[in-house]
Amino acid sequence: MVLTSDNTSRRVMTLYMGTGLALTALMMFAGLMLRASQAGWMPMSPGQFYAVLTLHGAVVIVALMLCGMGGLWFLMRRLTSLSAGTALIAYACIAAGAAAVIAATLFGGFAGLYTFLAPLPFHGSWPYWSTGAFLIGMTLITIGWMAWCMQMLGAVLRAYGGALGALAWDFVWHRKVFDASGRPLPPPEAFPALMAGFDGMLAGMSAMLLGVALIVRWIDARVLINPLWAKNLTYFFAHTYANLIIYMLAALIYVGMPYATGRKYHTSTALVVGWWCSMLLTLTNYFHHLYMDFVQPGPFQYLGELSSYLSAVPVTVVTIFSALMLVWRSGMKWTLGAIFMYAGLIGWVVGGIGAEIDATVPFNTHLHNTLWVPAHFHTYLVGGCVLFAVGWVFLCLESRSIRRTGTLMRWAVGLLTFGGMVVFLMGFYCAGAYGVPRRYAIESPPGPELAKIASIGATVMIIGFALAFAEGVRLRFGYPDGEATMRIGQEVEA
Amino acid sequence: MGVAVKLLVMFLVLASAAIAIFLVVAYSTHLPVREQHDIQQRGYAIRGRWFLSLVLFLIASFAASIPFYPYMSATAALAPARKVPVIAEQYAFIMPSRLPVGKAIIFEVTSRDVNHDFGIYNPQGNLIAQVQAMPDYTNYLRLIFHEPGQYTARCLEYCGIGHAIMAKTFTVGDK
Repeated sequence: MVLTSDNTSRRVMTLYMGTGLALTALMMFAGLMLRASQAGWMPMSPGQFYAVLTLHGAVVIVALMLCGMGGLWFLMRRLTSLSAGTALIAYACIAAGAAAVIAATLFGGFAGLYTFLAPLPFHGSWPYWSTGAFLIGMTLITIGWMAWCMQMLGAVLRAYGGALGALAWDFVWHRKVFDASGRPLPPPEAFPALMAGFDGMLAGMSAMLLGVALIVRWIDARVLINPLWAKNLTYFFAHTYANLIIYMLAALIYVGMPYATGRKYHTSTALVVGWWCSMLLTLTNYFHHLYMDFVQPGPFQYLGELSSYLSAVPVTVVTIFSALMLVWRSGMKWTLGAIFMYAGLIGWVVGGIGAEIDATVPFNTHLHNTLWVPAHFHTYLVGGCVLFAVGWVFLCLESRSIRRTGTLMRWAVGLLTFGGMVVFLMGFYCAGAYGVPRRYAIESPPGPELAKIASIGATVMIIGFALAFAEGVRLRFGYPDGEATMRIGQEVEA
Repeated sequence: MGVAVKLLVMFLVLASAAIAIFLVVAYSTHLPVREQHDIQQRGYAIRGRWFLSLVLFLIASFAASIPFYPYMSATAALAPARKVPVIAEQYAFIMPSRLPVGKAIIFEVTSRDVNHDFGIYNPQGNLIAQVQAMPDYTNYLRLIFHEPGQYTARCLEYCGIGHAIMAKTFTVGDK
């Protein structure tokens, strides 16, 4: 199986994913500091706590976006025309924006949080310049993101004959016409690319609109911004960004799991329709963030719950179920790459269950803005997205290295990483169930006790990831001399 | 047991069932290998049933949840109730310290500065109701306290570095 010997696409992927995973690792330590502070083990003032929390939230989203963007760009570069120059410009904008966010929080003490609900950024105890630096940083990140989305959307539309071709419209509704046309059928990984490009552009536009409005308000305090309008825009772009991360990483499943199992994954009607649904539902389920805003128009609340519920259908019926069918009695070798990828599917489902419970309006009354919220999104970000990205890196390493990971190492990495992760996450879930509010520098009982348990779990998990990193380095030094071809992925024509 | 703890139990049951399925599928890789096309027909049949069951379950859950939405209907808004204004500001709630038990109350919740959230904890520490407190808007929360005692209102929307200390205790009933 020959996949790609395109060094440029490998380098771009390495740049994006390397930066993304490095930032993720740093933010794991930042997150551990926050939980240790809530446990009473690490003294932090509220100002420091919230500045680090702001940094942690904003940078993790950017870091995992970079992982998804890099992986998807690499996969689509094999199939479409993508310019490395544009990808580098997008990366530079995002890197500059991330640097501004880091400066605003670490040096300026900006603590308006990564959701920066207006008008809070202008009512804080931090220096005024740090608000501007943070807003300009987030705007730069959005510019980079939109440049990437525009490039990806354009490439997919060109490659598959416009919007209807990229959506595989005729493949679903007019099969005979499609077969006779001889047009290429988009492979499974093209659908996450289309969705990221299209939904990502819409989310980016709302982020830009809000970002510019807030920057104008920062320059001129007389400017008034409607808080409900700002809240809708904030959650629309932030929720869509967070969702698109995992959908982009789904492309790695579509290529990684067939490689690991030795089976084929092809585009089917169910897959196509599933992605159509995901493209639409991802744009409307953000309403569940505003259930407790009773002034929000009522139909949006109903739509939020229904849309959030139905989001589970394409994910579990198409992507997850298909992955399980690939693994079923496949004789798959449980390498670290396969273990991480498979475990990521579990994190996605379990996090989704937590999310669906919270997305039920009557339950949301008891869970909204408690630690249940970080519980579910940490489940699918750490237990899903991070594992997909790490799993993909290991599949790439394993495909080229002559070294193999021993059984003891696989068990050690698995037990430490997943055992620690379960303890860490249960600290959040239990605290949420006992009504402990999220974003409290000082928590009420049983928050501190649960934070101690969670901190221990997070430490064990980080040790597991560190062990995996060391094993990854060992595999990397096992490349044969002169071997330049990465063997993972589906065959594509040169 | 508070509602949220019951939700935790429900979550653990559902998550355990999902993990069990993944473990069974993972174990199957140790069984004799089968060709992909041999398992596809049966797999697609199971997928079809899963699709139908899931969609029906989700739509039924949606319909079942609607009567329990916390939003005040027009009828409820016109029903007799004591109006209690609540003004949130960094980092305090301005509201009465004593409220009646067993009588309908409509909290009129707004904010003087940034977004806050008015979350009400009962004497056992369970979060029983909440609504956002927003500048320029008033949110109406209808509630009946069935149990006397000391309740606590906490801010549940991040509002600045004093967020964690923004709380107000109030007494329900004559105690």
